[in-house]
Amino acid sequence: MVEYKPQYYPGGSNVSANRRKYIDPNYKLRKLRTISDDDLVRLMGHRVPGEAYKSVHPPLEELGEPACPIRELVEPTPGAKAGDRIRYIQFTDSVYFAPLTPYMRAWMGHMRYRGVDIGVLSGRVPLEARERDLEKVAKELVETEIFDPARVGIRGATVHGHALRLDENGLMFDALRRFQYDKNKGEVVYVKDQVGVPLDRPIYVGKPAPEEELRKITSQFRVDGEAFRNDKELIQFVQRIHMLRTEAGFDPNRVKEI
Amino acid sequence: MSEEKKMFLEALRRKFKESPEEKQTKFYIYDGWKQSKRKREFVEAAQKVAKERKVPFYNPDLHLGGIPLGQRVLMPYRLSGTDIYCEGDDLHFINNAAMQQMWHDIRRTVIVGLDAAHTVLQKRLGKEVTPETVNHYLEVLNHALPGAAVVQEHMVETHPGLVSDSYVKVFTGDDELADEIDDRFLIDINKEFPAEQAAQLKAAIGKRIYQVCRMPTLVAMTCDGGTMSRWAAMQISMSMINAYKLMAGEAAVGEFAFAAKHAEVIEMGTLMPWRRARGPNEPGGIPLGYMADICQASRVKPEDPVWVALEAISMAAVLYDQFWFGSYMSGGVGFTQYATCTYTDNILDDFCYYGAEYVRKKYGGFAKVKPSWDVINDVATEVTLYGLEQYERYPALMETHFGGSQRAAVVAAGAGVSVSLVTGHSTAGINGWYLSQLLHKEEMGRLGFYGYDCQDQCGSANSFSWRSDEGLPFNLRGVNYPNYALNVGHQSAYCGIISAAHGGRGDAWTTNPLIKVAFADKDLKFDFTHPRLCFGKGALREFMPAGERDLIIPSH
Repeated sequence: MVEYKPQYYPGGSNVSANRRKYIDPNYKLRKLRTISDDDLVRLMGHRVPGEAYKSVHPPLEELGEPACPIRELVEPTPGAKAGDRIRYIQFTDSVYFAPLTPYMRAWMGHMRYRGVDIGVLSGRVPLEARERDLEKVAKELVETEIFDPARVGIRGATVHGHALRLDENGLMFDALRRFQYDKNKGEVVYVKDQVGVPLDRPIYVGKPAPEEELRKITSQFRVDGEAFRNDKELIQFVQRIHMLRTEAGFDPNRVKEI
Repeated sequence: MSEEKKMFLEALRRKFKESPEEKQTKFYIYDGWKQSKRKREFVEAAQKVAKERKVPFYNPDLHLGGIPLGQRVLMPYRLSGTDIYCEGDDLHFINNAAMQQMWHDIRRTVIVGLDAAHTVLQKRLGKEVTPETVNHYLEVLNHALPGAAVVQEHMVETHPGLVSDSYVKVFTGDDELADEIDDRFLIDINKEFPAEQAAQLKAAIGKRIYQVCRMPTLVAMTCDGGTMSRWAAMQISMSMINAYKLMAGEAAVGEFAFAAKHAEVIEMGTLMPWRRARGPNEPGGIPLGYMADICQASRVKPEDPVWVALEAISMAAVLYDQFWFGSYMSGGVGFTQYATCTYTDNILDDFCYYGAEYVRKKYGGFAKVKPSWDVINDVATEVTLYGLEQYERYPALMETHFGGSQRAAVVAAGAGVSVSLVTGHSTAGINGWYLSQLLHKEEMGRLGFYGYDCQDQCGSANSFSWRSDEGLPFNLRGVNYPNYALNVGHQSAYCGIISAAHGGRGDAWTTNPLIKVAFADKDLKFDFTHPRLCFGKGALREFMPAGERDLIIPSH
């Protein structure tokens, strides 16, 4: 059998290369900041730091699961083993050179993490998982290069902002003003959790990346950055997929030599 | 399209104080909902009502636990193709009488052929049918259709002042017969349509004669769509008894009822399956091609099929997205902003006219080339990239369509309409729409909401999947087509894709010539030749609908 080498994403542009990089689980995301475990828990707002995980069923070991080949094949995540409830973190990614776009965020998550349920909308991406698994995943999502404090928002509800112009400090709009720009420190600070409940003390998440840096690491095509029009390989790839789907829908026998 | 010609710039300059190219602005300084004249009006009205009824009412300060709407500019909207600006609230169908009347005028229309009844009268009963008897019958039916008695001697009837919009007219493709019909009852194809279109329509309709029955708007408002053909059939049957001096209840009368309810009736919308639980003449059963034909813009500017398609799109947006998906299917306050993106601020207009100019230059005009992968790929890709680049060049445009589903609808509509124009083929057009969606998703790395993406990522496979080499089944799809039944923001453009294909070819109609002629009627309350202008009048509160109840309620 021919050895299969994943290609992750087509295209000849830097944006395509960034997309390949983020989706590839072998690429280690650069860590840029440290957010304490307690602060992360407070940002998400599901439990009080130090509080035990709430469970929705007994630990699997005590549950006495039925004989099932799938259960034998799939190792449960720690959260599933413990019976944790399912909780979420949700991000909004600005169209203005945010590191990730919603689809990239979702595909990256599916390739890198187990036991996650990810949705994709035009601005926001909810990621749901067992609570202790979620906290581990969220840590990487917030501490690494894919989180820019100004162009990415942690938002459970009232998420609009991805397509709006930026404010005078270069921050994405947030109707609930969960985050603010601290001019003295030059850092972005969260004053509310992801659903807008005020925090008992602010949480600093670091300095926004310079515009040139964002343009280098973004997975967003833009005509004022790297234009999609110039990535002929990617356009032809999409056109071919569309043609194959269309022809196969009309008559599968017409599609040959894929 | 050159900078100075971009059609959306004027609206963007009116919506935001900064230049449309500016990437930064100020937020959180607009005093919330108080920046909006309409919201202030709502609050004032609600406070008065709450005081009277002693039950809490509308209070925008409850929004998000005290963080009100309006943390950014609550932007005005321009009705595309007009100079009318309004607030978003004015485009909710509950706040817009023109939108309501458009739907009522469609729903209350039933077409019933007269030939079966005439055959029964002549061949079974030996009665004479002449232009004189037809005119007499139409006079009787114009008395009866709004809700009056014609046979019984002790009957309650409807107040004419409440049902003044109810009447019957006829049309035929036979000029000689048309000449014999009293002008008051005739939709005259020769007068209502440009000569070339009239010739096409008359050839298709032939010597047959059809009644167009308009039931009262009040009936449309208080009963359901299934009522319409029943209401019409009852009054038609009774009028036949009266006009032709028949026995009430003789077997032939059953034939008139059968013809009016089944054999000769054309409902605007077909019965819905059980899971939708709707009868005929509800928005979910109206084929996309019927909507394209109900729109009468093609009579006004046949030389501009882009404008015609845009007018059709606006009607379909209101009916399918705002009424059907927005309320019938989803419940709640509706999907107004999903829909208005296709008919406000001249944005879709710009994308479609760009596509039209592109195909004119490259392919020598409309409907000049057969559908092929080369053409679909070329046109759909170019218009998609153009549209996406406009959002990126003009941050104010991106902010105007702040939801991805809005952008996806408008960009793909531009692509689909352009492919329809160049090929004259609506199935090619819809295929162009789906290519646009796939390109959009890869370009932006985002598209619409979950369901939006679901529909569009399997659309390539179903665009040619059913007998597409034998005709245009796409024209008969509607919002209840399985893959379309879940999702707002598409069907308006699908209607435009059909309109553009046939407009590009110079066709007088897209799907059904009878529907096209039935709405070529200046006595309808809604102006189907200029729907966007009409919606604008509704927004400005300058549109007078039918169905008012002042005659039977206390003065107010």
